[in-house]
Parts: sequence; structure tokens; C-alpha cells
Amino acid sequence: MNEFVTALGWAGLFAPMALGAIGSTIGCAVAGQAAIGAMVDTDSGYGRYIGVSVMPSSQVIYGIVIMFSLQRDVTPETAPALFGIGLLSGFALLFSAMRQGQACASAIHASKTKPEIFGLSLAPAAIVEGFAVFAFVFALVLAGGIPG
Amino acid sequence: MAHSDRYAMLLSSLPYHGPLFGAKQTPLSRIRLNQRLALLDPVEAECLHHARRLLEWAQQEPDRTDAQAVVRAKQVIDGITNPFIRDLVTWRLELRTLIAALRRRHRGESAPRDRRWGFGRWVSRIMQHWNEPAFGLEHAFPWLPEAERLLARGATVDLERLLLGAVWNYLERRSDGHYLDFEAVVIYVLRWDMIARWTTYDGEEAARRFDELVEQAMAGVEKSLHPPAAAPRSERT
Repeated sequence: MNEFVTALGWAGLFAPMALGAIGSTIGCAVAGQAAIGAMVDTDSGYGRYIGVSVMPSSQVIYGIVIMFSLQRDVTPETAPALFGIGLLSGFALLFSAMRQGQACASAIHASKTKPEIFGLSLAPAAIVEGFAVFAFVFALVLAGGIPG
Repeated sequence: MAHSDRYAMLLSSLPYHGPLFGAKQTPLSRIRLNQRLALLDPVEAECLHHARRLLEWAQQEPDRTDAQAVVRAKQVIDGITNPFIRDLVTWRLELRTLIAALRRRHRGESAPRDRRWGFGRWVSRIMQHWNEPAFGLEHAFPWLPEAERLLARGATVDLERLLLGAVWNYLERRSDGHYLDFEAVVIYVLRWDMIARWTTYDGEEAARRFDELVEQAMAGVEKSLHPPAAAPRSERT
């Protein structure tokens, strides 16, 4: 039983990093495709499209930081906390990155037609980023309370 | 990658089409559109191709009877695997059935006895309510009474505008929730077809073509009334 709990602890330790990476991959791929499509249809502003398309990459960075903040001896005492905080923060990062990718793709699509709304069109993606930051910050706060 | 995001690149490469009646030309040429649509999955591209062939007036065979056209439409729709496209095509053919019924009634015809004159779920209802205004379908199709009035007035351009507007609004409603997926591509392409159709309408060209047809018809009538006299012998040699 202890071995199983310990294994869950290790899974929780790596979850923020792994799930954040998966989310960032999906988000950047969706937004990146939209950026490429926009570049096919326009004659300028390419850097702007690419810049927006990498917004979902922040989640993997948050995941790495959470992973290091959780890093400690994985014992039956610490494993449940590592598993809970790690896995749930990982899922938060995963879904926020995926949805942020869609929001960025829509922003690219819209600002291609109406360049004047470029800044405003990024608001939904920025709000999604805010939720990812919540998950990140409070994971760090809770990680400080885990013994070991 | 999520299924709903598959066509992010394709959709972003398509220019915004704007409103239908403000368009002076299609947002991109047919060649460029076909180039971009090459990114579609082959099965989905096939579905879209069948749907467009069925809906485009230029692709219709004018010699076909209504019954033959209905059978053909059913065959094509049964072959379309994508339920979204099937719904869109069915709705468009149902709309055409309604307009066909209005035109028949306008010509003074009585209710058809055979169900094979039209397509879709409203055929029986139209036959049953043949003499009612808008066939009793004004709640389902709020624009139908207006279409009837325009047809009675002979305002064909306004009627065309009304019908295209109804289709455009229907596509707008169906596009809800579809942003980067195949359904969004379908909506775009069908709207492109509508813009292509609307922007190629030319009043002067239509009047010229009408005069041409009248001249041809009158020439045929004159020929049958006054057959040419036998040519002089010297001209035969």
C-alpha cells in the first residue's frame, strides 16, 4: 500500500510539468496554425501573429516551477499532498493552455481582418492566463505547507 | 489535437467575407478558394463537394423532371456522411420546395397530387394547406408571407434578396459554436457561393440576354408564319 501511495506522490510531483507541457503543446499548435493561416492571407504583421500564438507556452513554465516547489522526499506522509496539489494544478494548466490556444487563434483570426482590435481581441486569452496564474500561485502557497 | 480545432489554419487563411449585400466581389477567387480547400480531409472534402453540386443552380440539369430531381437529391444526401452538411442541404432544398410551391400557386395551379414534386418534411403539409396563405407555415418561416407578396407583385429582385437573406441568416444561426472546425469551413464555403452568385447578377446583362431570347423566339415565329420562297434557279447553280 505504501508503495502505491509513494507512486502516486511521484505522479503528483511530475504532473504539473507533464500536463502543462501537453496543454502548451496543444494550445501553441492551434494558435500557431491560425497564425500560419493568417500569414497566408495577409502581407504584414507576421511577427504579431507568431507572438500571440506562443502565449499558451507560459503554462509549461508554471508547471516546471510548481514541480520544483513540490520537490522533496516522497514518503507515505508527503505523497498524498504531492498527488493532490500536483495533479489538480496540472489539470488546471492543461485546460487553460488548450483553451488559451483557441482564444489566441480566434484573436489572430479577428485581428487579421480588423487590425485595430488586436489589443482588445487578446483580452479573453489574457483572462484565461489569469486563471492559470491563480492555479500556479496557490499551488506554490500550498506546497509551502507540505512537510519535508 | 482537439477535433474542433483541426481547421484553424485553413480558416485563418480565408479572408473575411463581410455582409452579403455589401459585397462587390467574392473575398477570394474560386481558384484560391479551391487551393485552400485542398487542406480538407478527403472524406469531408467529398461531402462538401457533393453538397455544393446539389445546391448550385449552374450544376442542375434543366431537362430533369421534379420527380427525377427529388430522387437524385435523396441519393446525394444519403451519400453525405457528415450530419451537419446533410442538415444544411436538406434545409436549403426544403426552402426551394416552399418557393416552388409558391410559384406553382402563383401560376394558378392546384395542389400537386403526387408527393414527388418537392423535397423534405413540408411537402405533405403544403399539399394539405395549399390554399392557405404561406401554407400555414409562417411561424416556421416568418419571411414566407413577404415572399408571397413579392412574388404576387412580380418583384423578382426583391424576392431573390429576401431568399438569399433568409439563407444567410440561417447559416449565421448554424455557425454558432463553430469557430475552427469543419462546420465553420462549410458555412464559409456556402456563404462564398452565395456571394459569388449575388455579385455575378448583372441587370444590364440580364436585359440583354432577355432581348436576345425574345428575338430568337420571335424569329422562330416569323419563320413559321412566312416560310422562305423557293430560291431562283440561277442561284442554285
